[in-house]
Amino acid sequence: MMRSMGAFVSNNRRFLPLSATIALFFVAYIVGAGVYDGMRDPQIFLNLFRTSPFLLISAIGMTFVIITGGIDLSVSGVIALTTVASAALLRTGDWNPWVVMLLMLAMGMALGAIMGGFITYLKVQPFIATLAGMWVARGLCFFISDDAIPINNRVYRILGQTKILIPGLSDPVTKQGDFISILVVVMLLILFAAIYIAQYTRFGRTVYAIGGNEHSARLMGLPVNRTKMLVYILNGFCSALAGIALSIYVMSGHGLYARGFEMTVIAAVVMGGTLLTGGAGYVFGTLFGVLITGLIQTLIQFNGQLSSWWTNIVVGALTLIFIGVQSLLFVEKKRRTGGRKLAGEEAPPLPRATRTRQVLLYSGGAVILIVLALLAINGAQNAASGPSANTLTPLSVSCELKPFRQDQAASLVKDGAAIVYERNGGASCIDELYAIYPDGRIVGDDGANQIEKQVTEEEVNQLLAEISARGWYTDEMYSTSHVPCGQCFSYNLSVTYQGKEKTVEAVDGGTDAPANYWQVVSLINGVIPDFSPAP
Amino acid sequence: MTPSKPSFKWRKVTESKLFFPFVALAFILLFDLIFVPGFFNFSTRDGHLFGSLIDILRNGTTVMLLGLGMTLVLATGGVDLSVGAVMAISASVAAILMNPVIIGVKLPPDLMKFINDPNFTYAPLWEVILVTLIVAIICGLWNGILVAYARIQPMVATLILMIAGRGIAQLITNGVRIQIFYDPYAFIGNGWLVLPFPLYIVAFVFAVAWLLTRKTSIGLFIESVGVNFRSSFFSGINEKRIKLIAYTFCGFCAGVAGLVASSNIRTSDANNIGMNYELDAILAVVIGGTLMSGGRFSLLASLIGALVIQATTTSMYAIGVPANAVLAIKGLVVIFVILLYSEQVRGFIRRITPQKEA
Repeated sequence: MMRSMGAFVSNNRRFLPLSATIALFFVAYIVGAGVYDGMRDPQIFLNLFRTSPFLLISAIGMTFVIITGGIDLSVSGVIALTTVASAALLRTGDWNPWVVMLLMLAMGMALGAIMGGFITYLKVQPFIATLAGMWVARGLCFFISDDAIPINNRVYRILGQTKILIPGLSDPVTKQGDFISILVVVMLLILFAAIYIAQYTRFGRTVYAIGGNEHSARLMGLPVNRTKMLVYILNGFCSALAGIALSIYVMSGHGLYARGFEMTVIAAVVMGGTLLTGGAGYVFGTLFGVLITGLIQTLIQFNGQLSSWWTNIVVGALTLIFIGVQSLLFVEKKRRTGGRKLAGEEAPPLPRATRTRQVLLYSGGAVILIVLALLAINGAQNAASGPSANTLTPLSVSCELKPFRQDQAASLVKDGAAIVYERNGGASCIDELYAIYPDGRIVGDDGANQIEKQVTEEEVNQLLAEISARGWYTDEMYSTSHVPCGQCFSYNLSVTYQGKEKTVEAVDGGTDAPANYWQVVSLINGVIPDFSPAP
Repeated sequence: MTPSKPSFKWRKVTESKLFFPFVALAFILLFDLIFVPGFFNFSTRDGHLFGSLIDILRNGTTVMLLGLGMTLVLATGGVDLSVGAVMAISASVAAILMNPVIIGVKLPPDLMKFINDPNFTYAPLWEVILVTLIVAIICGLWNGILVAYARIQPMVATLILMIAGRGIAQLITNGVRIQIFYDPYAFIGNGWLVLPFPLYIVAFVFAVAWLLTRKTSIGLFIESVGVNFRSSFFSGINEKRIKLIAYTFCGFCAGVAGLVASSNIRTSDANNIGMNYELDAILAVVIGGTLMSGGRFSLLASLIGALVIQATTTSMYAIGVPANAVLAIKGLVVIFVILLYSEQVRGFIRRITPQKEA
């Protein structure tokens, strides 16, 4: 009796971070739905899944690595390499897309095996070995291609754009309503497989044992080296799969995709209740870590006032809170075990009550998800491969970056505008086009509204003279490449002065543009009228 | 065969912390000597020294500065992942102090011109530098408190600031990329006094760190905390305060690096300043022979480690490898260095050098 009571208490402790994560997610969602009417739409909830396959898949792999007490910083590099390599192979159309995917998975596993070998057999710190792996992978992307390669493959398009309608929330006849994508189903399948592997296989138990105490795991006769290798190979596989998911999602490949992604992944895993020292954590918690990350982004979008960089701050704060809770638990555990860290405490054999509880929890969670998946597969028959443009910007799904309106700008220049200034991007993805005419008329257009302003002819002349004086028509003023970026603006500026015309493009956040360019931009920003901020 | 006395010295050389970084640097320079004609040429323009070697020194200053702070942190057995984010924060603070009006306000053109004026600054330069460094030191203190007093694993504790830091930096500037037009500030990163000015800053910070660690007992304490913090505690060392000092100094170094980097590119670029620099800094220290598990450290070896990284990058540019692809080469260099440091290779080197002493 006493023993089972003790087990119950220890159960509660062990599940505290996990239940905190789950509770936090639902509380945040309910609060959000209470405050913002738009969030009550079930599609918003489904979008949390729809936008997270790559994050969840790589977070699952990372969970295993972190439970063994290691870390893998190479995920973002491997993801970027996968997108570029698959885009390059698919470009000519000679390769079967399924073969390409298998190749990518094999490549990811090979990279994982190399890093795992360094860590396991040469005793290199996981941090350094995977860091080198990240650099190599990301560098290789640029040996393949400097620019983004679009993917124009039928299979990829079908995988990305097929809507799996949710029965009950959608109309199968008109093919309208709430939906998820095929990637979500894949993601959930991977999740079940990972939960099974972690909790019900010998390999999974060895993983926990290594994280608890590698040395005693070795003394217990567990295959430590083999398991560590397998964990890194598994993570390589997950990274490659996440890379495939990302390339399906954005339909292109580029070496700069997923910059800093490894930190998002690690934060999601930590928020999911996995201890970064290893030995404790649940794959199921990682799901909620990922969902919370998505929810924070959604809440910030719905708020509209907060900029997207608040995501970083909130994720940082939440990570701090979770680590605080965990270290408290850790201290308690140490106190209970008399200051000594018990070898492989989380490892089997677990008390029976623990196991029962674990089985209950996971089967409960699994049932819910299986029902969801069944619904999804059911709905797959109604799947529509409609032309829903899935052009969200990579990893920041806040809004859609619009391309420059080159044609319109050219026609404005032809109409006699002295300056045509286009600015797009930013946190809310504005797309503003201004034409300044020599007579002082300024016409702005943000795609929906028009705005006008009148300045004197004198001012325009002075502005043009200043721009010219800053070397606009010299070689010092050059265009810099257009790289996608989360929050920065890109500029396209044509100036016609004294019969000469020149267009220069640049992007905020790129530090390679001429310094005088930014001076010119700030000069023009001082003149043009302002669109009232969107509600 | 060889006389015992010189062989003893040879062993001492190979065991020295400076040996491997120098060997690595020599390899890279040898590569340049063979494959890049004119790499070792110097020229003087307006009394300034120019040349590829000077470029290596000049571009390596940020990593050198970060490496100095990181050395102390790694020596205590910790790690600071937030240095890049702290660089971004300090760049934002500096820029906002010089150009506060730019935030979210559209200015009339006459004031706009005023801002472009190279002699205009809102706060005086000393105030800009002082406030920036104080903010950076606060960031370091925050890390130190989390690690030393809240007993959070260093990698995790600093991960928090690493994730949140860039957000904070953008919050400070309201997401605007602030241009820095003030010329005296630009001197910090771009100035020349025969040699590039940032080198003197590195020399100064190095001198401070050297005096702090080698002329006081702090250096010894840091090493003993890194070797075994528990026994240091029992022998009466205030290990918490030692850790706090190490992280604070690291924050200070990151602040200085942020000043240099932002003045170099003349913007507060919260998205890109110091991106991936934490990794470069750790790498520089590891190449310098300080173990990531803590213990013995050498500041000079870390500086040479930073130079090894920069020399690799510069050489790659010189032979025409595209900028982004240099990362792959850098990764291979890391793997090479790791192998150089692994027990197997060390054992091999020990075996080929004569064993007998005296």
